[in-house]
Amino acid sequence: SAAAGIFLLNIFYSSVSSLYFHIGETEKKCFIEEIPDETMIIGNYRTQLYDKQKEEYMPATQGLGMFVEVKDPDDKVILSRQYGSEGRFTFTSHTPGEHQICLHSNSSKFSLFAGGMLRVHLDIQVGEHANNYAEIAAKDKLTELQLRVRQLVEQVDQIQKEQNYQRYREERFRQTSESTNQRVLWWSIVQTLILVAIGIWQMRHLKSFFEAKKLV
Amino acid sequence: MSCRGGLLGLTVAFLCCVGSVQCFGQSQDSEFTFLLPAGRSECFYQTAIKNGTMEVEYQVIAGAGMDVDFTIISPQGARLIIENRRSDGVHVVEPMEEGDYEICFDNGFSRFSEKMVFFEIIIEGQGGDVGGDDEFPGVEEPDGSLYSFFLLLFSISLCDLNTVALCSVSPQETMDSLHKRLERSRQMQTVLRAFEARDRNLLEDNLWRVSFWSCASVLVMLCVAVTQVYTVRKLFDDKRRVCT
Repeated sequence: SAAAGIFLLNIFYSSVSSLYFHIGETEKKCFIEEIPDETMIIGNYRTQLYDKQKEEYMPATQGLGMFVEVKDPDDKVILSRQYGSEGRFTFTSHTPGEHQICLHSNSSKFSLFAGGMLRVHLDIQVGEHANNYAEIAAKDKLTELQLRVRQLVEQVDQIQKEQNYQRYREERFRQTSESTNQRVLWWSIVQTLILVAIGIWQMRHLKSFFEAKKLV
Repeated sequence: MSCRGGLLGLTVAFLCCVGSVQCFGQSQDSEFTFLLPAGRSECFYQTAIKNGTMEVEYQVIAGAGMDVDFTIISPQGARLIIENRRSDGVHVVEPMEEGDYEICFDNGFSRFSEKMVFFEIIIEGQGGDVGGDDEFPGVEEPDGSLYSFFLLLFSISLCDLNTVALCSVSPQETMDSLHKRLERSRQMQTVLRAFEARDRNLLEDNLWRVSFWSCASVLVMLCVAVTQVYTVRKLFDDKRRVCT
């Protein structure tokens, strides 16, 4: 019961103000998340609209939602959904690489914006941070100490996954680097050969031309 | 562990959790990588508490020129930090006033090239990292190094052996410290990943440039060769014969 109290307090304190930004009506904002494979991402957002009468930002009304589109590193759409004025989207990566998360508002009622901006509070949790520990504790019936150890294990798992991904990226980086090196070398040789060939062809062509003109 | 020890441990964890959300809940630190179109400016707002610190680190990881204008504006509208056309930077802001700090990236000077910018905001509560490092006086700030990590594991194992004299910290505090250090390791990994992404994009740009200019160079060479021969032939046309 004490553990439950702690969890509730954590949930309360978790709703601290996250980062926010302003988005126009037809504007599309894209965020890139470079993650290893089999990593879960949870995105939370809530929107606010500027109320001219109260001269401050109030929670947006219904009918004003956000359209969320997620693309994987191969530019394939893995999530394309519309959410309300407050939403939570989740996806798990199957290939390592840069995933693109794009948001834009879908307001059909143009007057709601009234030329102003929509304020979007966004929070993206990656990997271990996306775990819901209250749920895990309840499901596996763990004591508080066991849960903390579990959290540490998940953290180390995440770090290890990142390192494996780092190694894979470094290998690709090395391949690209060697490819560039080879290409520079190869093109230099080819260009020199072409120059020499052109020189020879020019001389022979002009020589035969002058001989034909009886100048030589 | 006796019942009283367990209860004490729970109380410690409770107090720790009240002060920060880093125990089980989501971290307050945010990191984003976003696309900044050419000629545009993007601003992000972060609420800061008084007497804490806010560390902002940014890096341009893609885009020709790889630079961006960076500004931090206080809630009152004062420009705290202005940087022009830098490719990366780290700034620690100590908020004097409560409110929303504005962090702006401006790509207005660039007409065609879209930039990809990575930035990270690390918020620390009053008096440095919440949870404190005083259980290990002499051990420095968590730097993700393996030494401090193994020191903690060692202390946990000593506690297990019930050698009370050597076990000066409760497992709860040790767990918190471990958690903090692992978080720091993860943050460093994120920064390293951003560096690697920037280098990779630069390398791929170079590869494309090498290929393109090699082809262009060969084409130019061939055109020049043909033009040279044609010009010389024209000089010796029948109308204007050079006397021998």
